[in-house]
Amino acid sequence: MQIFNQVETSNHVAAVELKNVSLSYDDGPDVLSNLNLALPPGSFHFLTGPSGAGKTSLLKLLYLAQRPTEGSVHLFGTNVTAAARRTLPAIRRKVGVVFQDFRLLDHLSAFDNVALPLRVAATSEPEIKSNVTELLSWVGLDEFMDAKPAVLSGGQKQRVAIARAVVNRPRLILADEPTGNVDDAIAMRLMQLFMELNKLGSNIIIATHNEQLVARFGFSRLALSARTLTELPPLLASDASGIEYTADGAQP
Amino acid sequence: MISLRTDLPLGGDSASRFIPWLVAIMVFLGILAVSGVSVFDTILSGWSRAVTGTITIQIPALPADSEKEANQARTDRAVTALSALPSVEAVRVLENTEIDALLAPWLGEGAAAGDLPLPDLIDVTLADDEDATLELIRTSVATVVPDAIVDDHRRWFEHLIDLTEGFRLLTIGVALVVTTALALTIVYATRASLAEFKEVISVLHLIGARDIYVASQFAKRTLASALKGSAGGFAAGAIALIAIGWLARNVESGFLPDIDLGFGFWISIPLVSLFAAILAMVTAFVTVLGTLRSMI
Repeated sequence: MQIFNQVETSNHVAAVELKNVSLSYDDGPDVLSNLNLALPPGSFHFLTGPSGAGKTSLLKLLYLAQRPTEGSVHLFGTNVTAAARRTLPAIRRKVGVVFQDFRLLDHLSAFDNVALPLRVAATSEPEIKSNVTELLSWVGLDEFMDAKPAVLSGGQKQRVAIARAVVNRPRLILADEPTGNVDDAIAMRLMQLFMELNKLGSNIIIATHNEQLVARFGFSRLALSARTLTELPPLLASDASGIEYTADGAQP
Repeated sequence: MISLRTDLPLGGDSASRFIPWLVAIMVFLGILAVSGVSVFDTILSGWSRAVTGTITIQIPALPADSEKEANQARTDRAVTALSALPSVEAVRVLENTEIDALLAPWLGEGAAAGDLPLPDLIDVTLADDEDATLELIRTSVATVVPDAIVDDHRRWFEHLIDLTEGFRLLTIGVALVVTTALALTIVYATRASLAEFKEVISVLHLIGARDIYVASQFAKRTLASALKGSAGGFAAGAIALIAIGWLARNVESGFLPDIDLGFGFWISIPLVSLFAAILAMVTAFVTVLGTLRSMI
């Protein structure tokens, strides 16, 4: 894809770093407990774990929708936990997010939804038109640019959400079940897009339940279980079959 | 050219829909208040000019026509006495036509030319407005015409001026209340819109929008709505002013002073409309910034 250029990264600073991070909501029990992690620039990870393990909560910490109850989150060398509120927009522009529920703006067309990150960054309209059009074509939605989310299928909405997350060439891409609503062919195409962006320097973290996907692409895993995080080696394809999480989150 | 494209579905929400109506009503009331202040200012200014430094002396007419020459002699004596005073700048005896014009609203045209025993009126312009000067005039005139009446306008005009000044302050108060009410209602409407679009604003924040980006969108949309309303309010206010002017002209002249509001007034009326729209825009902008500060 021509619209993406190499992102600026530093090889000396961790792209994502968690230091003793814990999170709880409204004085409740810890959802995440004492997480420590350092991801080098240009890494690609799957974030796995059973439902309720805290994958979405961890992603919220990384896209700055939550601050940790304890510890600190560092993105690209900046302690975002202690960062002043006015500095957060600049950091958020370096992070692209694919929300599990898409969070598209219903009153905007697919084109305008994808254009949002560029518009908030004051990109020129000709550049927006060129980049958004090419990206929507790439994800197979060139005939739906003017369509509002209400008339799009779940898979189409997901592709719009992914296009919105990557359109401004973020240094970190966080995706919560990005292939959950699309068929295999589209899923492979989207994964190819993520890998392409990864080659250009973006860090990718994909939260997923899909063990087949994890095994197929063989990237390192960040496994969340019992509120703690463990970095695991890539899952081999032969290991994938039969691995399922039980209802209580434990692996058999 | 300001782009009115917004990422927020503003204009369709319940709070935004009534902004044009609200602004129209406020602009209409504002125009009436500003007009009231201008009218009172003009009246006060005219009266002050008329009263300051002048007095009128009445030389009552003697009862019989045969004493017309004696009346003239009494007036001449008073004029001579007044002219001799150093604190008197000018002395002028009013012509019958002028007295006729003064009486016309009450007695009809030609009253002075009839048989009524009307006094001669002497208009005196003073070099100063000191009480000692007035006392000196009273004494001098009384020496030559004992029954002359020195009419110090200030006594009764001052009460009228106080009353008019009170109305003027009241009207300024109304204008301030209207301005405050407009600002507070815009604050309420903007907060209601912010609550309605909380989810959309959250998404904008998460993709890197600054507060000022969101606030600008609210401000632009509020300005557009307010301009529509202020145009309506301006039209209604202009119609009301034309109607009031037409009614005032139909009142018998003499009871109301001629009021020339001047160029400044006619410029201020569209400025009231513009001010209301800008006030609404700035209020919305500041409200959004203040509210978003509490979000992560």
